[in-house]
Amino acid sequence: MFEDHEIISTIEMVKNEHLDVRAVTLGVNLFDCISHDLGTFRHNIRHKILTHASSLKSVCDEVGDKYGIQVVNKRISISPIALVGAAFSADQMVEIAHELNDIAKTVDIDFIGGFSALVEKGMATGDLALIAALPRALAQTDRVCASVNVATTKAGINMDAVLQMSQAIKQAAELTADEDGLACAKLCVFANIPEDMPFMAGAYLGVGVADAVINVGVSGPGVVKRAIERHLENGPMTLGNIAEVIKRTACKVTRVGELIGREVAKNLDVRFGVVDLSLAPTPTVGDSIGEIFQALGLSHIGVPGSTAALAMLNDAVKKGGAFASSHVGGLSGAFIPVSEDLNIAHAAHQGFLSMEKLEALTSVCSVGLDMVPVPGDITEETLAGIIADEMAIGMINAKTTACRIIPVPGKKAGESVYFGGLLGEAKIMAVPHMMETNAFMRYGGRIPAPIHSLKN
Amino acid sequence: MNKLIITVLAKDRPGIIAHVTQVLFALECNLENVNQMILQDQFAGFFLVESPPSLDKDSLQTSLDDQTKDTGLVIHVNDLDENNGSAMDGAGDIFLITTIGPDQKGLVARFSAIIAKYQGNIINLKAVFKGGPDPRNNVMSYQVWVTPDVDSAAMFAALRKKAAELGLDIRIQHKNIFDAINKI
Repeated sequence: MFEDHEIISTIEMVKNEHLDVRAVTLGVNLFDCISHDLGTFRHNIRHKILTHASSLKSVCDEVGDKYGIQVVNKRISISPIALVGAAFSADQMVEIAHELNDIAKTVDIDFIGGFSALVEKGMATGDLALIAALPRALAQTDRVCASVNVATTKAGINMDAVLQMSQAIKQAAELTADEDGLACAKLCVFANIPEDMPFMAGAYLGVGVADAVINVGVSGPGVVKRAIERHLENGPMTLGNIAEVIKRTACKVTRVGELIGREVAKNLDVRFGVVDLSLAPTPTVGDSIGEIFQALGLSHIGVPGSTAALAMLNDAVKKGGAFASSHVGGLSGAFIPVSEDLNIAHAAHQGFLSMEKLEALTSVCSVGLDMVPVPGDITEETLAGIIADEMAIGMINAKTTACRIIPVPGKKAGESVYFGGLLGEAKIMAVPHMMETNAFMRYGGRIPAPIHSLKN
Repeated sequence: MNKLIITVLAKDRPGIIAHVTQVLFALECNLENVNQMILQDQFAGFFLVESPPSLDKDSLQTSLDDQTKDTGLVIHVNDLDENNGSAMDGAGDIFLITTIGPDQKGLVARFSAIIAKYQGNIINLKAVFKGGPDPRNNVMSYQVWVTPDVDSAAMFAALRKKAAELGLDIRIQHKNIFDAINKI
């Protein structure tokens, strides 16, 4: 039996505080689909994915209805195409992207992730082909997501790959210039990429994971914000108390995700993987990370104190998640995507949040420079430098960092970009010194792994 | 040994349970389970007891009536048929059906009629209508046992349709979501 306040607060979390299951992502291993013949490979991956995913959407909807919690996005992650499609050329990789796009439409999901390569220690033939294919693959499809891991704490940073990814991002933006470089919104460059992440654009299925697995991404920035506000309305609190409130709230939200994920996995007869509790905002008011900063007493995200606040928030979310489930994975923390969070986008436009401060924040958040629109004429070297800086933060701190940067063709800092849907809109952020020559980025080679990687 | 169920109704005050259980103790009844609730100022209690062979339903009723005379307690003793089991034995799920919105005449009658029509079993009902903007003051919550032979989709659709007609916000959610969030 439940108390009145338990019933009402649960309903409020869903109805007014935007608690939802942001993504149920079905991971499908494609290693048994490998063939040297493109036609056979395409047939094999279609058959394998459809076998597991044909009822993904209906099962998610049924489970969501049963619990009164919406499963917003149903998605698929696959084994890295650079590995399972290593035999193919760049042109053939583009054809594979079209096949994946068509499969995503067939099973009625919004994104399929795993058009990916893992190149932190060097690029093999398949990796080079995939990176060369990226601009066309992303420009010619609308549901394929790509990621390239260029650094790890154990391997260091592959600076050749960093520069190639900078070039690929610029080319992808140019090919979708009429959509403000939208292709780049489906492309992430990673350090320490998790192999079980349900969130796009970085989701792929790791090589050490089961044949098919359900990973769940739960969000809930609105729930956290309201929990903080409710407790502050009852009187003054210490930051230790506030962290406790965030932790408990994160615990509740994680339990919801695991409940839904396990039932979806059971109904699909596949293994349950992890819950990724990430405070992932949407452009909706009340579903914002930036608003949490304001609930904590900061005028805007980006003002002094923001990094400390984000560090506390990220840590409390992880602790709450870890208490709730033994299978927490993915990113599990707080995202700070600029265009996807109306409040963050406004803070950037009003000058409270600069590129430099954003980079500082990424040293304590769970992802990195995410959905950041920058001027289209940014040089390859500058863009590569931004990526390398971000990768260094991830490598040294043994955490995931990523770059999802959109150099918007033909537009300058301060101009508007609109990506639509969950990708949101923003003003283009200024990048200081972006036209300076940068020979450092042309040396190539690998930045060695840090001393603390030597643990064996 | 007899299994008996004793129902006690009274205006609430300190000492009701103490009084009843002392009488039962003196009669060598073994208390197996007790449940009570208070609605405004009214007490209702259920006492499941095992009585000695010499004490049947009627003699226990007489003893309790004698020893609670002039206390205002209304007591009823009945045999418990253990073979019938619980209404929730077997396969089934508990759903919470919650409506939020202002009071109207016949709300409980209308919604419970739909649940009954589809053979859903209401195992707990709370209804509070005090007016004002606070949803806690204008809420009905049914916990309903739904067995596999109940057409739950049709029942839920009928409930949602009725709520829409009456301008009420309705939420239908499996019990486990409330457990996940609240029972940590």
